Amino acid sequence: MAQTTDPSIPFAPNPATDRDRDFAAIALPLLPNIKRFALSLTRNEADADDIVQETFLRAYRYWGTFAAGTDCRRWLVTVCRNAFNDLVQRQAKSVAVEDDELESLATARAHNAAVAAGLGDMYSRLDLGPAIQKAIAQLDPNFRDVVVLSDVEGFSYEQIAEMLGVPLGTVRSRLFRARRQLQESLMVYALDAGFGRPQSVQRPSSMEKQT
Amino acid sequence: MTVDTRRSECEEIVRRLWPYIDGKLPESDRERVTRHLEECVACLSHFDFAKAFLEAVHEACPAEKEDEVLRARVLAALADEGFAG
Repeated sequence: MAQTTDPSIPFAPNPATDRDRDFAAIALPLLPNIKRFALSLTRNEADADDIVQETFLRAYRYWGTFAAGTDCRRWLVTVCRNAFNDLVQRQAKSVAVEDDELESLATARAHNAAVAAGLGDMYSRLDLGPAIQKAIAQLDPNFRDVVVLSDVEGFSYEQIAEMLGVPLGTVRSRLFRARRQLQESLMVYALDAGFGRPQSVQRPSSMEKQT
Repeated sequence: MTVDTRRSECEEIVRRLWPYIDGKLPESDRERVTRHLEECVACLSHFDFAKAFLEAVHEACPAEKEDEVLRARVLAALADEGFAG
């Protein structure tokens, strides 16, 4: 079959090859089986459809590695399982990044609340040393370890991950959460000690509602 | 730039606050934040507040002073183990 060169048909399909014909005859009929399997993994129609699409894309790309005459359904199930695992990892990473970003935003909100309470310069104006030590001591041990190793001892995320035997993302999320908890504790301390403006006091519990 | 896009850019910048301060942003992101902070006083004040917090934490936990009693105790225990340094 001659391939078209008509520029008005830029996406004219390529002629079917033996590879394509085999894929269409052997792999594609198994689509419903793979959909059922994908659904059992995701329990979610939209994710299952994504997984099925990814499975058949990968299967097509690596069709050359499929041994003709062997069980194609079994092969596709393996490809599908791998695609699902990759999706789960991607989603977990995406949620972690979002959480880390929200912790950064929380710091801006804490600053807004501090300014509103007349405490925008609290770290330079007040002697918070004892309050900081107390707040660190009251942190959950997992958070305390990370914030002390990072912000007191000056170790890098990578060094802390290795020392504690936890993933880098865990170090980051524990560190950011620990910092937020410390900031909230210090704000409460400053307000309770009477350093804020009484008429505009906003407790940290109301910080989350601010923009 | 409209108020809405300005706010959105500010939020994007503030979302990168901790990684930026910790020096963990990719170069292109880092440059974007630096440029923004050069012209946005509001965002800069959030970053300065966060840095002041970190400085306060660091200063609140000074290194332990040299403890001669403890040093002697440790050296004695080491000597029992054959340490001769």
